[in-house]
Amino acid sequence: MAKADARPGAHLTAAARPMTSEEKTVIFASSLGTIFEWYDFYLFGVMASIIAANFFTSLDPATRDIFTLLAFAAGFAVRPFGAIVFGRLGDLVGRKYTFLVTILIMGLSTFLVAFLPTYKSWGIAAPITLIALRLLQGLALGGEYGGAATYVAEHAPHTRRGAYTAWIQTTATVGLMLALMVILGTRLYIGEKDFADWGWRIPYGLSGALLIISVWIRLKLSESPAFTRMKSEGKTSKAPLTESFGNWANLKIVILALLGATAGQAVVWYTGQFYSLFFLQSFLKVDGPTANILIALSLIIGTPFFLLFGSLSDKIGRKPIIMTGCLLAALTYFPLFHALTDYANPKLAAAIQKSPVKVMAPPQNCGLILNLTGTAKFTSACDLTRTYLANSGVNYDKVEDASLTIAHVEVGDKKIAGYAATQPNAKEEKARFEKEVRAALNDAGYPAKADPIPAGSANWWMIILILTIMVIYVTMVYGPIAAMLVEFFPTRIRYTSMSLPYHIGNGWFGGFLPAISFSIVAAQGNIYSGLWYPIIIASMTFVIGMIFIKETKDVDIYADD
Amino acid sequence: MWKVLVGFAIFAGLAMYILTKSGADVDMGGEKHEVVPAGAATPAASAASH
Repeated sequence: MAKADARPGAHLTAAARPMTSEEKTVIFASSLGTIFEWYDFYLFGVMASIIAANFFTSLDPATRDIFTLLAFAAGFAVRPFGAIVFGRLGDLVGRKYTFLVTILIMGLSTFLVAFLPTYKSWGIAAPITLIALRLLQGLALGGEYGGAATYVAEHAPHTRRGAYTAWIQTTATVGLMLALMVILGTRLYIGEKDFADWGWRIPYGLSGALLIISVWIRLKLSESPAFTRMKSEGKTSKAPLTESFGNWANLKIVILALLGATAGQAVVWYTGQFYSLFFLQSFLKVDGPTANILIALSLIIGTPFFLLFGSLSDKIGRKPIIMTGCLLAALTYFPLFHALTDYANPKLAAAIQKSPVKVMAPPQNCGLILNLTGTAKFTSACDLTRTYLANSGVNYDKVEDASLTIAHVEVGDKKIAGYAATQPNAKEEKARFEKEVRAALNDAGYPAKADPIPAGSANWWMIILILTIMVIYVTMVYGPIAAMLVEFFPTRIRYTSMSLPYHIGNGWFGGFLPAISFSIVAAQGNIYSGLWYPIIIASMTFVIGMIFIKETKDVDIYADD
Repeated sequence: MWKVLVGFAIFAGLAMYILTKSGADVDMGGEKHEVVPAGAATPAASAASH
């Protein structure tokens, strides 16, 4: 296999040339790992109810909460920890070997789920093992992205890092498509019942094939030339963690990378892909299949833009593209989501305008409806009332009245008493409350469901257009981000330093978006108010990025080697 | 490049075909943490991670 020119300075003067076969293999091998990462991400989303039925249903509520917290930890705590563990390993022993370790742990822990006995046959050992495998996956995932970005960037010509690393960014869509094809294809082929009984294991089992191919290709790869040179000269870091996070000069860049780049990138991404889907289904009441098809189409249309903006960032810079993406998102989310309502559920848009709804409640009855970990329980009449209205896509004004003993809803001249989950007859009261509110909302013109949106109709195309615009914002902020993160840090601590802001930015700022945005919607009584969260974070990144982040496209990433 | 684009178009087309053929009744909202029983309603959106 041809080796990259490792002579000092040679990378800066290399003339423009087509991608070599070695570079293609490097990109392919690295991207395959991140496809795997996404495939796994969607497996646990798409099959959540089946996994729950097979492993968690028989547990008592308190034990279920513990498992929920552990699953939450796998996503939010273990991945940043994995970024530190494998980032350090990558800077100490090399990218290639770390890369092999992360894909092996990740692949095996996914693959083994296919053979895991269920709660019925293994008892409590089954969910414990499943959660242990998810924790292992989370750990390995934390090291995967940073490794892929670093490895590709260190093989890319100086003037093409944006274009080369952009391929990694496309894998989000490819991983989704692959997961859908495997899961739905299997379900179609063997039937719904068999899929729920045993067929769900097949997508996990097939990940074994993906693992074998990934390991085989990665074994053929050579170590990054920059790392090899540093190693042979004895210049690699002896303490990457201390150098990355114990040294203020570098820690400052890590913090800036987080607040001035990845935080904004994450919320734009989560809003464009996940919150828009949630908004369509939960607030606008578009049926699930239609919403899924609309989102999938917009993702497919938008995907080539990752490559476009990655390449463009090599010419005009990473910063202008990422900052423009954050700014456009912050400025246009409100009109875009309003337009989404107008085209996806015009009756709801009209009802919101002409029939205001009120929630009257004693002040001490209303808490913060925030369910970050998935274990929060809302029991007061005020919280349950607001949650129900928010889930119904209804805007409302909250009026606090200390003279009341329990919250109630006012729709026009109708008053419906709320209920508390702690009441002895809570189940019957819940049914009564929801029935009466629904009837009052129907009378006021609030549709229980959006009218069908025929494929190819004018509204259908307008929704595709709006969603695609939001996906293009995603490609603006996400396409050049890997190159930018790589260019922030020197080779000796690159893997460690770039992995953490990526995972905290995306895992925390992005991952908490659905819960925080819903909480704002429920608190404010406005289905659009949840957009304040991504708008504020994207604006923060724009301001911090514009002031403190320097353009990196011309940075010689080997200057400090 | 055009080969990659054609390959992606075929791959995406196949995925869309399977999605529509299967009824598209699937949760595309990403990884879930709640371990609630199948069919149980969650009171509010919780965090999603990647």
